[in-house]
Amino acid sequence: MADRITLGRVLRLLAISAKMDLLWLLRDTRYALLGIGGDIVSNVATVSGVFLIASRFGGIGGMNAGEVLFMMAYSTMATGLFILFGSGNNIHISRIIGRGQLEHLFIQPLPLGVQLATCGFMPFTGGGNLIMGIVLMAAAVRRMGLQVTFLWFFSLLAYLLATLTVIVARSYLVSSMAFYAPAAAEEISSTAIDGTWFMSTFPLSGMPAFIQIPLLTVLPEGLMAWFPSLCLLGRPPLNLTAYYPMVFALIISLIASAIFRKGLTHYVTKGSNRYLPHGFRR
Amino acid sequence: MKKYLKTACLSALEKTNGGFVYLLPDVLIKIFTLIPLIFLWRVVMSSGAETGMTLPQMLTYTYLSALLADMLDVKTAASGWLSEGVLLKLYGRPMPVLGQLAAQTAGGWAPMLLLFSLPMALMAPLFGVSLVPVSPLFLASLPLCISLGFAVDFLFACLSIRLRGMTWLVNRMRMAIAAVFSGMVIPIKLLPFGMAEIMKYQPFASLGGAPLSVFTGAADARETIALQVIWNLILWPAALLVWKKSQEGMVSYGG
Repeated sequence: MADRITLGRVLRLLAISAKMDLLWLLRDTRYALLGIGGDIVSNVATVSGVFLIASRFGGIGGMNAGEVLFMMAYSTMATGLFILFGSGNNIHISRIIGRGQLEHLFIQPLPLGVQLATCGFMPFTGGGNLIMGIVLMAAAVRRMGLQVTFLWFFSLLAYLLATLTVIVARSYLVSSMAFYAPAAAEEISSTAIDGTWFMSTFPLSGMPAFIQIPLLTVLPEGLMAWFPSLCLLGRPPLNLTAYYPMVFALIISLIASAIFRKGLTHYVTKGSNRYLPHGFRR
Repeated sequence: MKKYLKTACLSALEKTNGGFVYLLPDVLIKIFTLIPLIFLWRVVMSSGAETGMTLPQMLTYTYLSALLADMLDVKTAASGWLSEGVLLKLYGRPMPVLGQLAAQTAGGWAPMLLLFSLPMALMAPLFGVSLVPVSPLFLASLPLCISLGFAVDFLFACLSIRLRGMTWLVNRMRMAIAAVFSGMVIPIKLLPFGMAEIMKYQPFASLGGAPLSVFTGAADARETIALQVIWNLILWPAALLVWKKSQEGMVSYGG
């Protein structure tokens, strides 16, 4: 019988994930530290490219170098939160579906959603990028002399939550293909998340509307850093409301939820074809 | 040679096992990354800052970088296959392991060249991009880049072996290094703070950025090719030696 799910229960589950992460760090410190270092270097390198361009050209499309740094800081924080909560393939969900590993979750006495929300929490080995993002954000805020009020700080958290919601919802949306084609679509979440990561660091200011609008709707890379950053700087682009990222996050979540549930129904009815009778993966 | 060609053909076919439709997301992502990137450079270059590169050169550089991405930054399956246990199987075949990896990698380029690079090359004039090389020495620079790319990849595979198969970490670090130091995304010539002059002599600059610079005429072709030859002469013996020493240390858990 499934446990009753309360906030305390969720926090205890997060603590279990954190404890396992800490045990890995203590047991295999050298390699864990290498992992943390490599992860930070990789993400800083990704965002530094755009900042180097902004420095070289004195800004990009109406955004000065300080604003671009702010945007890169936001991007690094979003990446940091993603790694903090999504280090167990729980956001790269097509891997779990495609490999037939959802069965592993079905036998646990916990709802699927609760398991997926808590199993990827790695604060010790996965927190480096978030810390780096916070440091970059502090540097950008100081450089631009921004007034940090409680309301502004709350807005930052709200935008980060919206950005993460869009990432997770889009991943679950495309990953629903893996219910029907597990082998071919096993890595589709990587395409949706990692394949578009570089694009999400593009400052879209100054680009024509026919580039900006698709990147805020069909392929919402503009919501990963550019749009929220400009909202936090007090000038939402394209005359759109500053709440647009939240509205978009809500809509894509509802669509993803409906399609994912449909795929899940198909999966529990038909099963996974990834394993041969004697246990090997196809 | 026939057996290598057969390996390459099998690799190309393997990529399309699930049907071409499953390659479409990757193709679409590439297209949707390339088009904004073209406009990003248009916006950036319109600031009028003196960079030593013209807008048409920059657009050609960016466009070609996307079309030839797999060749400019060679990634074999060595690191991934190490952790999956597939690499060990290659030792049971009557062909050199590095040769198999090279053939398998080159064959794997074919589907994306056909589905993405070829159509986009034909559409280049629509984006105002010229794909006519400034120097014919590009034809020498590209093979040197690919050759060096294999040597660098084998060295990273040896690092994976050394790090007990932390393939994911090695790949992340490698991607970061390639993004900044190879000039594939931002031409080395455009780096600020006086970094350009120092960076052009490091080995990664002889990878993707080198043939692109030769193609667009953004760098001295003879000097670029000389550096590529030098790095090939240094890194290939190093890769072969380190690979030979690393083989005994391979540990796989299986897939």
